[in-house]
Amino acid sequence: MRPFEYIAPSSAEEALALLAENGETARLLAGGTDLVVDLKHNAGNTNLLIDVSGIPQFRGIEETSKGVRLGSMTTFSEIMASSIFQEKMPAVIDGAHTVGAVQTRNLGTIGGNFVTCVPSADSAPSIMVLDATVKLTGLAGSREMPVADFFVGPRKTALKPGELLESIFIPKASLGKPSAFLKHGLRKGQALALVNGAAALWLDKDGKILEPRLALGAVAPVPLRAVKTEVFLAGKSATDDVINEAAELAVSESRPIDDFRASANYRRQIIKVFTQRVLKESIRIARES
Amino acid sequence: MLVELTVNGEWKSADCPPETTLLKFLREHLMLTGAKLGCDVGDCGTCTVIVDGESYNSCLMLAARAAGRDVTTIEGLADSQGVHPIQEAFEELGSLQCGFCGPGMIMSAKNLLDKNPTASRHEIKDALSGNLCRCTGYTKIIEAIEGAGRIMSSDKYSQSNTF
Repeated sequence: MRPFEYIAPSSAEEALALLAENGETARLLAGGTDLVVDLKHNAGNTNLLIDVSGIPQFRGIEETSKGVRLGSMTTFSEIMASSIFQEKMPAVIDGAHTVGAVQTRNLGTIGGNFVTCVPSADSAPSIMVLDATVKLTGLAGSREMPVADFFVGPRKTALKPGELLESIFIPKASLGKPSAFLKHGLRKGQALALVNGAAALWLDKDGKILEPRLALGAVAPVPLRAVKTEVFLAGKSATDDVINEAAELAVSESRPIDDFRASANYRRQIIKVFTQRVLKESIRIARES
Repeated sequence: MLVELTVNGEWKSADCPPETTLLKFLREHLMLTGAKLGCDVGDCGTCTVIVDGESYNSCLMLAARAAGRDVTTIEGLADSQGVHPIQEAFEELGSLQCGFCGPGMIMSAKNLLDKNPTASRHEIKDALSGNLCRCTGYTKIIEAIEGAGRIMSSDKYSQSNTF
């Protein structure tokens, strides 16, 4: 591995000062499941690792009157063990459970997964459908944006130099919202998603779909909110015809690629089937609740 | 940098470059070669060790991150009374062929059974999804872990548990 210095600052201020001082030669270390592998294989110009994984401000899951704040350095195992997520956002746990394996989920953090920003990120869809926002912090202050806007391109986020991802926020209105997540990989364990996806919606007393959300991964350069499909579904009755039409729309909104894991055509088939399944499952949960 | 930590119940320290992984630290600085270097990217799991009661790929964790913590490796499982029930079950069933995946398989199994000794077959498979075996097809590994779980969940074991 390329030689580097290692510092584990105890506060956000200290971490941001180090980041500003060292510019592009410094990298922030979260779980390290991506970064350490990168440092083994790509020499790059990294001379300093700033380990932010233990900084209290970036850790933990906290419910307030406005919603749930999820520290960016929370590991996938911690999310899975959280009673808040188990009770109010089970689809997020389903997403977290498909990340890597036990050993990588004990290390890997949701913030790290977001910042790595691959189109197939398994943690993204189930969080995106809850209208979550991210909080980015730099020396000049903080700013917030929807999760979907944070993902700019493959391995490219909205973070500016000197900024870091502090936390993710899920608004109160989304807690307990009927939601489902699915992932299709070539194996059950440790597979990169060929397609992953999540839906969330409410049903009114007449069975009409309210505030539908659909997010799909590995189907476009970034995890995708299928906005046209959402607009189509809003106010419609939850019938098979509507679900099938929504699935066709989701396919038309996606831009899957051919690669060695699957062809774009195959991915389009999966997008269709998965959109149907996550919608049906969300509708089933909504009817039961 | 000086890294000090507890390994298998003993306080250890060694000087290493900051980029040293926990795996390299264990193998090349503490001469504990039980945890193996396989894929070196966190896929194969043969480097699995337990730190403060949770399993990790030691090839992905910097030694600096383990400083001050309590690390258990495969060398820490047997004691003067004998081998751990998981090791015994692997031996009895012939669960390993080449054995390279063994240290990681057994540490993942220990991580599971310490928390849930009555784990179902499905839970065992899920817990092993980060450990690759290229010889056996996993069947006897899973059977051994089921058997070890039966022993570890018995009253007799919990009273005499020294591991």
